[in-house]
Parts: sequence; structure tokens; C-alpha cells
Amino acid sequence: MAKQAAQHVTIRKAQRAPLLPMWAMLLGAAVVLLIGTFPYISGTNSYVLLLLGKFLCFAIFALSIDLIWGFAGILSLGQAVYFGIGAYIVALSLKINYAIEHPTRYGSKFPDFMEWNGLTALPTFMEPLIITPLAVAAALIIPTVLAFIFGVITFKRHIYGVYCAVITLAEALILQEFIIEYQAYTGGFNGITDYGNYVGAPFLWVILAITVAFFLIARFVTHSRIGTVLKSIRDNDVRAEFMGYNVANYRIFVFCLSAFMAAAAGAMYAAWVGIVSFLDAGPLQSVEGVIWTAVGGRATLIGPFIGAFLVRGLEFLLSGSWFANYWQFFMGILFIAVVLWIPDGLVGTIGNWLRRRPKASYAQIREEQDQIARDRQRDWEPAGAPKPGDELV
Amino acid sequence: MSQALISQIMIGFSVAAILAIAAIGLAIIFGVAGVINMAHGQFIMVGAYTAAVVGQLGGNTFIAIPIAFIVVALLGLVVERGIIQWIYDRPLETLLATWGVGIILEVLMKVIFGPELLYVGAPKVLDGGLRLIGRLPFPYYRLFLIAVAIVMVALTFWIIFRTDFGLKVRAVRRNRAMSGCLGIDTAKIDMLIFMYGSGLAGVAGAVLAPIKSVSTTMGFSYAVGSYMVIVLGGVGNLLGVPTGAFLIGEGETLLAFKYNSVIGQLLVFVAIVIAIRVFPRGIFGYHERR
Repeated sequence: MAKQAAQHVTIRKAQRAPLLPMWAMLLGAAVVLLIGTFPYISGTNSYVLLLLGKFLCFAIFALSIDLIWGFAGILSLGQAVYFGIGAYIVALSLKINYAIEHPTRYGSKFPDFMEWNGLTALPTFMEPLIITPLAVAAALIIPTVLAFIFGVITFKRHIYGVYCAVITLAEALILQEFIIEYQAYTGGFNGITDYGNYVGAPFLWVILAITVAFFLIARFVTHSRIGTVLKSIRDNDVRAEFMGYNVANYRIFVFCLSAFMAAAAGAMYAAWVGIVSFLDAGPLQSVEGVIWTAVGGRATLIGPFIGAFLVRGLEFLLSGSWFANYWQFFMGILFIAVVLWIPDGLVGTIGNWLRRRPKASYAQIREEQDQIARDRQRDWEPAGAPKPGDELV
Repeated sequence: MSQALISQIMIGFSVAAILAIAAIGLAIIFGVAGVINMAHGQFIMVGAYTAAVVGQLGGNTFIAIPIAFIVVALLGLVVERGIIQWIYDRPLETLLATWGVGIILEVLMKVIFGPELLYVGAPKVLDGGLRLIGRLPFPYYRLFLIAVAIVMVALTFWIIFRTDFGLKVRAVRRNRAMSGCLGIDTAKIDMLIFMYGSGLAGVAGAVLAPIKSVSTTMGFSYAVGSYMVIVLGGVGNLLGVPTGAFLIGEGETLLAFKYNSVIGQLLVFVAIVIAIRVFPRGIFGYHERR
């Protein structure tokens, strides 16, 4: 009997979609080439070059928000906590090393802001930061561990949605106040400045390489089985749980991944820009990241990049004109406009528009949607649907 | 018990009152309409500016309270009809849209009133303080705030649980579709409840104006504080607001007395996160069937 059934059930060989379609790979390569050669076109002192690296870091930050908000439905308004911690650890490390080479006015070999605040030596817990690889590792691992702890506390108890958004917002606010209060260790209101940054072609390539790597990782995660489960959790978490998926663990995983990305973005940001302030770790930065993602298009991976570059680029272009005073006003309008009129963001809306197929029958549309879903999930392995005459054992 | 500790506990009561005053409007809007109003802090700010204008025209806080209620309720009406009525089914996006509203309000107020801080005096009747114990008097205005908090919570209780309107509100809260079928105009209930919640934010602004200088950025920390109250207390039952406000207010004040204010906030935040692990929907959470 089993043999007979096996004759009917032909197992289709899984068609693995490529990680990226050919046109996207070519386009991406062109963009990477353009950005990579930019320092030679503009020269190292160009302000646009500084902005370019900054925007790339912001784009990774927005990508990290997109991963949790667009693909898993977790709206975090405290993502800048991870960005900020990463940035502060790297900035502190750079500043400490800078101070060893350039003693302060009174001859001490530790950061000047600590001296102003009455410390007489480098605090012991900061001594490991002298070793740069250790500092980088700390900048990446500490935020990820914090995100893991936060995830275990909240997601394991089905706290998400609004509650998660509010708690993360408070988290960002408290970190910001913490930084301002403990100025002997963090530079307080002035932030950490004046430690020599890495603007130039080599570090731009590092940022670019990490950006591409994160984009591919995000693409890989969201277009595999994990991504499909995450999207099902986003759309209906109760149903996903009834299907037998451990919703909390998926959420914790993606939250940690996104915190890791945000921390890396912050670390590179600090090394590139050469100034870190409490604003980089506060609620405003977090919410701005959310709006970049929303403008570009949530649940699309290229959306955060376009959103970050577009909004920040526009801010830069308009910063000289009379309009700069009303920039905040414009941001407010943008928030409302995006929510009301383009909830899918620019990329999502254009994508929907391109994919539009008028006059298709319902069966055609369903077949097409199934095909799209199969192509999107790269490791889909169809077992073959049972046909009439099969015995279901 | 030392005198300092007792006076700190009294200050904690007034901090709790401030939190409750700020949070009650938000609890109404969030609990009934399900809207995450991130502009709540800015609504409070508008209420405070209204009180400042009333003060400059020669009025005092008692006159400012009803005027602020009406002004901010009308503002709430505009926001609800203009924006929120289209996105009731997407709660997380109401958060973004109302954040935008908040930014716009801040810029508008800055354009109208300029960036300077405004000061509003407390009414003459409430000058001075009550000499309970020790040498430090407890200001009458703080007592007044505690009274206002109690009145606001009681009034809201009365409206929600003792009036016809409140009955409809509770029906919509429980089962929107069914109440619609029974002839309740749910859109109108949403609108009215949003107006009422906004109006309470206006009252909060009016009574909080004398204790803090009025600035365009004063709202944000009130909004976050209010959200913490709601997360801790829960919105299922209005008792959540006074309870959450009391716990947070006393906790922050006493910890700030022992260590410093930032450590106090941090510890209270950690305590809240642990508390919602035990009560995922707040202490007086509403256990809905999903």
C-alpha cells in the first residue's frame, strides 16, 4: 500500500530562490562601488563624506528597528539604548587611549572630563577599555546581553505591543538621565568629544562591509523559515502559538539580533563621527529611527536605508535655509502623513504598485501569492500535497 | 521615624498626586479607546500655557481649570476627528501619529509664545504651608494637588460607573461590535471619551503650571511618567491609576531621599519591569478574552 501511495506523491525538488535576485545584486554592487570610491572623489576633508558614513550607521540602526518592528511586530522606542551603549563604550575607549598619548593640561593621563569632575585616576572598571579589541567586544556584547535579559523578562510573559513600546521608551529616557547625572564617567551634558575620529576611506570601507554583511544577514534571516515564523507571529501571535511555535523564543532571538546590529551601528558611529552625546542614547533618537523605517517602508529591507538617507539627507539639504527652524514641524507632519497615507512606506507602496495585477482571477492571484511565498522563503521544501487515492496513515 | 522621613513620605504623596493627575486622562483614552496618545504630555503643556495666559489676564488657577479643560478638550476633538478616527484599528500607529501631533504642538507653542519660560503663581489662598512636624512647612498648594487628584479620580469614577454615558463607555470597552449592534454610536463614544481624556490633561496642565516653570518641552516627562503609572496600575479598573501613582510616587521619592533621583528612577523602573512580569496587564489589569 505504501508503495502505491509513493507513486502518486511526486516530491518536487525544492526550488531555492537565490539570496538576492540578479538585478538587486548588480544594483547593490553599483551602489557599494559608488560609496566605496566616494572618498577619492570628494577628498578626505569633505563634510559630505562625514555625512555619508554617519548615514550608513543610521541606516543600520533603522535596519535593526525594521527587523523587530517590520518583521516581528515588536515596536521598540528604546532601540537607541543599544545604539547609545555601543557608541559610549567605543567613545570611552578611544578617549582613554587618546588621553594616554595626549596628557591633559595638568599632566594627567586620563580623560579631561573625568579630571574636571574631580576624579583623580581612571576608574578601575574602565581599565579594560584601554585594550581596543576588548572594548569593541564589550560594545557589541553588553547591549546584546541587555536585550536578552529584557527579552526574557518581557516576551516570556507575553508582554508586547503597546506595553513593550512604553517600557522601552522609559528605558531610553532613564539611560539619558543616567548619562547626564553621572557626568564624571560619561561626560554628562557635553558628551564625549575630542578623541580623534577615523574619517577616511579605510574606515568607510569597514562601515560599508559591515552594512552589506548586516543587510545580507537580515535578508537571510527574514527569507528563511525563521522569517516566515516571525511574520506569522507579527500577523497573529496567538495562532502562531497554537501552531506549536515558541513565540517568545523567536521574539527574543530577533530582539537580540537587532540589538547587536544597533550596537555595532553605534560603535561605528562613535569611531566615525568623533562625538557622542546623551541625545544619541535617548528617546528622540529611537523614535527618529522608527520614523526612518516607516518612511522607507517597514517589512522591506531596503526601506530603512532609503528612509534614513532620505530624511537625514533632506534635513541636511534644508539646514541652511529658512526652513531649518521649522524642521521639527515638518517631522511632525511627516509622522502623521506616513501613518495616514503611506502606511507601507515608500518602498512598500512602490512595490505594491509594481506588483499590481489588474483583472486576475482569484485562483490566479492565489497561485501567484503562493509562488511568491515559496520564492521568498528560501529553504521551502514541499512534501507534495496528498492526491485523491492516497492513504493517509 | 525621623522627621525627615515623614516629610519625605508627605512629598511622596504629592508626587503621587501629580502622577495621578497627569495619568488619569491617559488611562481613560488608552483604556477605553485603545489609543496610545503620545501627545498627552503636550496636551498637558497646552493646558499649562492656557493657565499662563489666564494668569496674565488676571485670573488664577481656579479660573484656569475649567478654561484649560475646554481648550484642550477642543484640541482633542480636532486631533480625534482629523487623525485618530482613521486609525483606531492600528494602535501602534496611533502612537506614531500622536507623536507627530506632539512635535507639531511643541513647535506651534514655541512660535506663539517664544522660547522663554513662563511662570504662573499659585493662588493667594494657597500661599504658605502646613506646619505638621519639624521646621519644614508642607506647602498648601501640594495639599491642594492631592485634593485635585482625589476629586479627578472620584469624578471619573462617578462618570464611568454612575452615569448613562459611562454605561455606554463600559459597553464599548467590553465589546465594541456588540454595542454597535445594540444601537450605541461607538464612534461618538470614542470621540467624547477622547475629548474628556484630553480635557483632563488640560486640567492637569493648569494645576501643575504653578509648581514647574511652563515650557514647551515640559510635557514629555509627564507623558512617560503617566505611561509608567498605567503600565504598573493597569487600565482594566480605574483603581489602577491611584495605585500605580502611589507606588511610583512614594518609591521614587523615598529612593531619591536615600540615594539620588536618577538611582531612584532606575530602581523604580526595574521594580516596574519585575512587577509587570508578575502582573502582565498591570495590577488592576483587564483580563480580556482573545
